[in-house]
Amino acid sequence: MKRFEVIQAGNVEDCLRALAAHGPEAKLLAGGTDLLPQLKNGLLAPRYVVDLSRVARLRTIDLDGGRGLRVGAAVTARELELDQGVRARYPALAESGALVGSVQVRNLATVGGNLCNAAPSADMAPPLLALEAEAVIAGPRGERRVPLSSFFTDVRRTVLAPDELLLELVMPAPGPRSGGNYLRHTPRRELDIAVVGVASQLTLSDGVCARARIALAAVAPIPLRATAAEQALEGRPITTELIQRAAGLATEAARPISDQRGSAEFRRHLVGVLTRRTLTTALARARS
Amino acid sequence: MAKQALSFTVNDEAVEVLVQPWDTLLDALRERLGLTGPKEGCGTGDCGACTTHVDGKPVASCLMLAIQARGRTVRTIEGLGRLGALHPLQEAFVRHGVPQCGFCIPGVLMAAAALLAENPRPTPEEIRYGIAGNLCRCTGYTTMITAISEAATAAAR
Amino acid sequence: MTQKTTRDVRGVGLAIPRPDGPEKVTGRVQYVADLQPRGLLHAKLLRSPHAHARIVRIDTSRARALPGVRAVLTAADIPELKKKAPTRSHAVLAIDRVVFVGQPVAAVAADELAIAEEAIDLITVEYQVLPASVDPLKSMQVGAPPVADAGTEADTSEAMAHGAVTVAKADAPPPKAANVSQQSRLHRGDLAKGFAESDFILEQTYRVPMVHQGYLEPHAVLAEWDRTGFLTLWASTQGSFNTRSEVADVLEMSENQIKVIPMECGGGFGGKIRALCEPITALLAKATGRPVRYVMTRREELEAGNPAPQVIIRLKTGVKRDGTLKALEAETVLEAGAFSGAVLAVSAVFLASLYKWPAFEVRGAEVLTHKPSIAAYRAPVAPQTIFAIDSHMEQLARALQLDPVEFRRRHLIAEGDPMANGQPWQSNGGREVLDRIAEHPLWKSRAEWKASGGNGHGLRGTGLALGGWLGGLQPTGATVRLNPDGTVSVLTGQVDIAGTNIALAQIAASAYGVDIEKVRITTGDTDVAPVTGLSAGSKTVYTVGTAVLQAAEDARRQTLQIAATELEAAVQDLELIDGRVSVRGMPDRGITLAQIGKKGNLYMSKVQPVLGVSRPAFSQQAPGFAAQLARIEVDPDTGEVTVHDFVVVQDVGKAINPIGVEGQMQGGAVQSLGMAMTEALMYDDKGRLMNPSLLDYRKLTAADLPDIETIIVEKPSPSGPFGARGVGEPPIVPAPAAIANAVEDATGVRITETPITPERIALALLGG
Repeated sequence: MKRFEVIQAGNVEDCLRALAAHGPEAKLLAGGTDLLPQLKNGLLAPRYVVDLSRVARLRTIDLDGGRGLRVGAAVTARELELDQGVRARYPALAESGALVGSVQVRNLATVGGNLCNAAPSADMAPPLLALEAEAVIAGPRGERRVPLSSFFTDVRRTVLAPDELLLELVMPAPGPRSGGNYLRHTPRRELDIAVVGVASQLTLSDGVCARARIALAAVAPIPLRATAAEQALEGRPITTELIQRAAGLATEAARPISDQRGSAEFRRHLVGVLTRRTLTTALARARS
Repeated sequence: MAKQALSFTVNDEAVEVLVQPWDTLLDALRERLGLTGPKEGCGTGDCGACTTHVDGKPVASCLMLAIQARGRTVRTIEGLGRLGALHPLQEAFVRHGVPQCGFCIPGVLMAAAALLAENPRPTPEEIRYGIAGNLCRCTGYTTMITAISEAATAAAR
Repeated sequence: MTQKTTRDVRGVGLAIPRPDGPEKVTGRVQYVADLQPRGLLHAKLLRSPHAHARIVRIDTSRARALPGVRAVLTAADIPELKKKAPTRSHAVLAIDRVVFVGQPVAAVAADELAIAEEAIDLITVEYQVLPASVDPLKSMQVGAPPVADAGTEADTSEAMAHGAVTVAKADAPPPKAANVSQQSRLHRGDLAKGFAESDFILEQTYRVPMVHQGYLEPHAVLAEWDRTGFLTLWASTQGSFNTRSEVADVLEMSENQIKVIPMECGGGFGGKIRALCEPITALLAKATGRPVRYVMTRREELEAGNPAPQVIIRLKTGVKRDGTLKALEAETVLEAGAFSGAVLAVSAVFLASLYKWPAFEVRGAEVLTHKPSIAAYRAPVAPQTIFAIDSHMEQLARALQLDPVEFRRRHLIAEGDPMANGQPWQSNGGREVLDRIAEHPLWKSRAEWKASGGNGHGLRGTGLALGGWLGGLQPTGATVRLNPDGTVSVLTGQVDIAGTNIALAQIAASAYGVDIEKVRITTGDTDVAPVTGLSAGSKTVYTVGTAVLQAAEDARRQTLQIAATELEAAVQDLELIDGRVSVRGMPDRGITLAQIGKKGNLYMSKVQPVLGVSRPAFSQQAPGFAAQLARIEVDPDTGEVTVHDFVVVQDVGKAINPIGVEGQMQGGAVQSLGMAMTEALMYDDKGRLMNPSLLDYRKLTAADLPDIETIIVEKPSPSGPFGARGVGEPPIVPAPAAIANAVEDATGVRITETPITPERIALALLGG
């Protein structure tokens, strides 16, 4: 790594001050699992690194008495994986946390880092998209909320301005008779990056699908929702045939590229397989 | 860009050391404190050779800046056990002749120790996932799984 | 070389853990990167971003001006550099042309690594980018962009260093296309007649991409010069004497001006034989007058290490309906990267020698491309070749509806049969390991396993494959000495990576006649140790073990001779029991080893010290065979393969130390499975590596694997110590074929290119 200065922020105001002073020359550091490899490989060479890891506000998980979920941006993947409340009510999110890297990486990697790094393959993006999370962003002009579906703008690009900071993710409780699931395909079982990731989130009402959310990773420049597939499910009783149809529509929503992790053809195929499987599990969870 | 003082606890001792802002925790341990047990196999968190406990949790110390460890409690392989008073995991690794080239071994042991602290009686499958972040090119992992299982069983008795 | 049965001592055959275990589990063992001498400088290399380019201009002025930078070198600063580098080691820094992405162009030594990295960025290089040869088949065509400088000779030293096989030079026609650096041709019988008489002809092309040896410790070296011009290198190497020779050759120095101290080696597998970063580090140390340490990053390892060649084999065979073999024709292309150095002959010999083909022709070509040059990787080219021939045998058996084991057994060579190069097969256990694995319950129940697939499970199948390695040879030396307290010290220059030192000590114990606890073995540096060969070629125990055996016997003879004089008895009447030599039947007339040792160390004593010496050279190889079996389950939707069970059966001749032997079998099997299932260096059309990290270069993790079951077969070799054969390489050979065979059993799909990934399987199932 080349040389840089570190600003250790004690609170959100410290961060904002540092960003106001050095924004374009500064990079935010939380878990470091995406930032440090980029610094080491020379892809980034900031003059300042602002360390967020001690900002208490960014480190909390709050179930808000069952009304919804707030996840601080510096909550680690491992914390999401192990949190009993998240596992019980937001299983797709806990599952995505459990899949990042290895345990040594999950103890460092944060949800905010996963989203702000904005890799198309970000594991936590699909479940958060499917849970209709909003990003709470702090900046010199105060806080603003952006639906996660508008957060990503391109490969490794987000709506965050250089002087802004992702504070937390907030999302409503899925409600009764809801279920979710996140699956990804990787050639190895651990220590890998999603070739394709799919999250499905279902809510049932009177035997029909009241709400369906399906989100895909690593099949487009940004993580995206498969809205046509969602609409095909909503208002109907979910059958094997309907799931198959939704999987087909999700496949059509994918716009994958071929790279070292998989071909576009294989990725499209996987979207169908994983959509079918996550919907099946989400349905079983919603019914139980 | 001056060196900064870092105070933290390493292997049960309070330590103060000067580090560069860009030093990783692994750099500080190896280059500034002479604790060369943790190894750098990749520098990007993909091999586990640098696995170190921070506040009891296993982390890839190559991905953490040293000054992020201020005030924290760090344990390296040097603090897991020592010659003459080996940790049960180390005993089992020696008995089963696990180390070959030996480069991955400190990281594997730290991952295994963290696993057993959390889950004292893991199944072989749980052990396999518990050390899945640690690549080994010599052993094929089989003897590691046996040794970790045995150390867990012995500790539980 | 007389074969001794083990004496009545604790020695050969015992499963003893290696004595450096406690040092290794406490993190106290020292690798190169752990060394921090006073005044240490850190090195960094500027590497080419282009696969092929002319260097127009290099400007290092800004780098030199950066505070903390102690030296900046380019080729212009190194008069020793040869214009036409005959090997990769000689291409220390590019002179006027770069020939692969990652080739070193300039070097920096600085007070801190961060400063060295910044200095690298301050060096400006103007390149004129040239067309690159990236695909080996296109690179063979006339008119392809040339890789080597005209007049550069093929480098066959790797093959010789590995002591593998030789093909008569007369049989190799001179290369015709510019990038074909070696050719070979082996043939016997009437090929056309063989095909004409065949009922069934199978033609298939198999491909195994470049793979990396994957040692966990990246290349590292520390260099320091003293004021008399004497260079010391602390190296991570598989052979300190080889490193010394290569560095001396590159730097045009005498070998006795260089001392190589072999540090603990964090894995090599063939990749740490050739000098790679040692010469440039030595030059930086010379330029600065300070100790300089260079540690390659993992990215540099993957982009610019010395990986295994890509191997493409087109195989065409003809057989009779009853399974009689008639003819085999093969064309092998080995992609060597930017410098010659592949063991071309191995591939040819294994293709046509394992099974008895009455007529065959095997043509091989080593092809240069604008990629990092290759080196050995554990049984170089054997896994790739066995992938082709064993897959092919399985396909033939299936097509002819013959039992696949019976089909292999019927045609498998035996001792004395001619290899494709005409040399006779030495005694080997090929048949024994094949028979043993066919008796395994997992093989016998393969039909039930297959039938249990589907119905909520994945598709299930079983596959096996047979392969081996001929075994390397290299002269070597060893000494065995009796200490004044009656203990025994063994000295060699052998780098111990896998745990060979404990096995060598066990050989010394049994040959001398003391318990292993009394024996200590040391790996000396190149100033003190007898000249010793590489830790490679599965030959450490086979050759160095022989040297230690002979040296221990020599020491025993000397010991008994001294005792005979002291006891006034005949040597043949003496026995050595529990550290004491006594006259047989007269237990009171005796002398302890400690007494003998002391007499050899007393002021004014006339008794000679005991120092056994041996320095053998070798001519007889001892082939080692391994068979592997995989019981798998395939997810038909995603193509994911679960390996439920994996069995290795291997003929090791004699297991000197079963712990070490099983460790080799398990570790080799998992490397073989990695090659089979996940590993490949992937290049884009500009010759740039697309997966330069261990996240994307996927070595298997513990979570991907079952326990590896090991079954040791012991068919003694006629010449190895206590009947031992080479153990290290055979277990990396069979798995690519075994997995391909298992996948076909499970799914009906035949995969002919590794890695056999979920993607390849899933897309093949969709297409089928």
